[in-house]
Amino acid sequence: MLNRAIVEGTALAVLALAVLFLWVREQRKARPESDGGYTTREEIEFEIGRIQSELYRWLTTTDHRDIGLLYIAFGTAAGLWGGTDAMMLRTELLTPPADIWTPETYNALFTTHGLTMLIFFVLPVFFGIGNYVLPLLIGADDMAFPRVNAVGFWLLPPALILVRMGLMIQVLGQVLNLVLPADAIRFFLTMREVSVGWTLYAPLSVQQPNPQIDLLLLGLHLSGIATTVGAINFITTIVYERGEGVSWANLDIFSWNMLVTSGIALFAFPLLGSALVMLLLDRNLGTAFFATEGGGAILWQHLFWFWGHPEVYILFLPATGLMSLILPKFVGRRLFGYQFIVYSTLGLGVLSFGVWAHHMFTTSADPRVKLSFMAVSIAIAVPSAIKVFNWITTMWEGDIRLTAPFILCAGGIGTFIIGGVTGVFLAVIPVDILYHGTYYVVGHFHLIVVSIIPFLMIAASYYWYPLITGRWYDTRMARFQALLIVFGSFVTFMTLLVIGGLGLPRRQAIYPPEYQFAQQIATVGGYVIGLSALLWLYNMLVSYWRGTPVTTTDPWGLKATNQFTREWQWFEQRMMDKYDMEPTEPETTRRSYAPEAEPTGLAGGVGNVAQTVSRNAWMAAAGGFVGTVLMSGGLITAILIGVLDPVSFGEIAELVGLPATPAVGAVLFLVGGTVTWPLLFLAFSDYLPGRLLFETGLVFATLISSGFAIAFYTGQSGLGFVGYLAFVLVSHWAYGIGLTVTFQYLKSDEALRTRTDGGG
Amino acid sequence: MSSGADSFVFQYLAPFVGVLLIAVGIAGAVPGGYAVIEPDLENCGNPTIGVEEPERTAERFSEGGPGPRLPQLAFEDLSSAEQTAFLTAVDDPVGEEQVVGSVPNADAFRRGAVVTYEGEQYYVTIVAENTCFAAAPLQFPLGVFAIALGFLGVLAPPLYRRLVRLDQRAGRSN
Repeated sequence: MLNRAIVEGTALAVLALAVLFLWVREQRKARPESDGGYTTREEIEFEIGRIQSELYRWLTTTDHRDIGLLYIAFGTAAGLWGGTDAMMLRTELLTPPADIWTPETYNALFTTHGLTMLIFFVLPVFFGIGNYVLPLLIGADDMAFPRVNAVGFWLLPPALILVRMGLMIQVLGQVLNLVLPADAIRFFLTMREVSVGWTLYAPLSVQQPNPQIDLLLLGLHLSGIATTVGAINFITTIVYERGEGVSWANLDIFSWNMLVTSGIALFAFPLLGSALVMLLLDRNLGTAFFATEGGGAILWQHLFWFWGHPEVYILFLPATGLMSLILPKFVGRRLFGYQFIVYSTLGLGVLSFGVWAHHMFTTSADPRVKLSFMAVSIAIAVPSAIKVFNWITTMWEGDIRLTAPFILCAGGIGTFIIGGVTGVFLAVIPVDILYHGTYYVVGHFHLIVVSIIPFLMIAASYYWYPLITGRWYDTRMARFQALLIVFGSFVTFMTLLVIGGLGLPRRQAIYPPEYQFAQQIATVGGYVIGLSALLWLYNMLVSYWRGTPVTTTDPWGLKATNQFTREWQWFEQRMMDKYDMEPTEPETTRRSYAPEAEPTGLAGGVGNVAQTVSRNAWMAAAGGFVGTVLMSGGLITAILIGVLDPVSFGEIAELVGLPATPAVGAVLFLVGGTVTWPLLFLAFSDYLPGRLLFETGLVFATLISSGFAIAFYTGQSGLGFVGYLAFVLVSHWAYGIGLTVTFQYLKSDEALRTRTDGGG
Repeated sequence: MSSGADSFVFQYLAPFVGVLLIAVGIAGAVPGGYAVIEPDLENCGNPTIGVEEPERTAERFSEGGPGPRLPQLAFEDLSSAEQTAFLTAVDDPVGEEQVVGSVPNADAFRRGAVVTYEGEQYYVTIVAENTCFAAAPLQFPLGVFAIALGFLGVLAPPLYRRLVRLDQRAGRSN
């Protein structure tokens, strides 16, 4: 079995170093170049002093925008950590047996993944966004209690360390074990990540001796205190700190959602704290809160889910608030049914406390009690549906701008509808009894927690990026990243819904082989989500230094649709004060596109036809030679890994009456690639698709690769055949690119020389 | 940052296919590579045993009359590798340890066996088989190839913009 501590520790270290490297590199690039010389002692001292003062500022700041950024950075780091857990557990599921991680490691992975993502990723990020923009949206100078706000944030890092200390101690233990005997560091080799499931059900969580469980409970308790403190701050800020002209009737929708979220947190988290203390006492002092002789194991489930289900809405409501705020900006219409969305938010806030027992339909609770929970669980779909219908109506006949935030909003609505409807089924007792503990449940809630929730976080990061940094992110990459994460989520979690529908139980490292293909699809989808998250991170980091500076006070053109909200008004004022910018007039401007480059046509050029033909022929030959050399790299690799048989080259030689040796065949191959195929390309290029020459080259290469694949086939099958076809295709693409790019390079070089010689 | 010509194929489709290839490549290369290095890295093919403490064992078999007809083994009957793992598991907080070496009593442990050690009875089972990972020989190289090709796909947009510029330069004379 792979060593989880080493693998995860290494992966996280590589990720952290990559982020640091990117940041430092881009920062250095962005600075003005010195004119040589060497670094003096004063410069180093100055730099160290600067870093110290920066560090001091960030450690002691009470400014709501700084704290917001700290929350977002912390949440992102935790999200990447929890995401690494997810990638690892999905890797385990590539094969039916538990042969990459042990079952216990797998259990630990899904435990820590759940806890890290729900408590240390989603909540801090939303509190961060709230901290940054909420005071701006309501016209407040800062949060109501700035110091308490800072304390609320600084409780979180130690909480995360306590919760995830198992991994750190495992890594440390294994490093120490390289130099110290095992007996001397027994403690470090005993601790391990908790593996009882994120719901910490008694009696397992009471009886399992792993001391890390106690640290985890303390860490969760600390995070609960942090959340409660933050919630009190948000409520007080919204109630007492609203600026002039901001009433309950026109309070923006995101602030409404943060208010209700904070209200839920205020009632839910203290209860979690109590339950955690009881569990700690049961584990360490022999109390019987959750023992069969005392309160019973079901008591833990009641207490846990009385926090746990409202927690779902604590995570979900800020996302809906962001959706209601961001979506209208990109469809050019005001939010439809503002009042009803506010009511639905309040409704969700109240109802969220009345559905907890739907997580316990398979327990021995009284059926009449369960029935009432079933009724409320079905009813809670109504306010959620009100939101969805209002979003769709907002988009209806709107002037849609296909930006990254809009793609994420639309994708979020789509996946939320599926996630929500599958939840309605689970609210029904008989259906839930059938699907309880299967992948159907995993698919259902992930379609919400890995769809609308992170989608809207990312949408918000794009939407407010100009406001926060004064620069643009790479919009094209952002659009691509948005599409990618929507696609990845859909593929992964729809697959889980299907295999859950077929009855595959969740939380099992080992599963029947007939589910392997579906699990592999889900894993590949999961990797796509992971890669898209890395793309987002790259875009955010690099654009901070390299992004195009914002040169308008209305970056999204919101004045045109009368949606220039308060935070952008603040931004405008800032741009005017800082850069003496003129307020942008409300007129929509389109990005000017460069005229499309036309393919040059190979017959074009200078001189008579014969000259042109001969010149083109030698350029094509040079291109063909380069292409063949590039192609050979691919083919040699294919031979080395055993998917292409060199004997087939001998057969080619035999075909033209030469000795059947691979060497002669290879020479023939080089000659053909240099002379025959480039000339054919010249002849046919005008009749092949492709606006640019290299596109035509790729089409040409793809066509001729089919002939190669047939001619050089020597009976490969299975994976060997897949590899053979892949290498043939890619090698030919290399040939096409080499041929056309070299040709164009020579042609452009010649054109340049002609111009400088007074021609053209 | 977002200037240049637009082409759906090279700006969106190529990187999308590239990301898919990377994802599929990781799914192939990680297990494929692991299968290659696993025998050198660690002890695979030997099970992990779970040992219950005597009180729990007594509790488990105290009810129901004469008790289960499970294999009864003395500590001395175990191979040295089994003995080492047994003793380590007894001291382990979770009560589990992988056997390093031969496991002649694997079948007995698989069913669940009672081992007598220093007059105390311990219930021993296999909690994980730790089978050696098997993968097709081509899985690793093809996975790496797919990742490399995928990266090329992801880098297609900037490469495309360069090629567009080259094409425009070449076409200036026309």
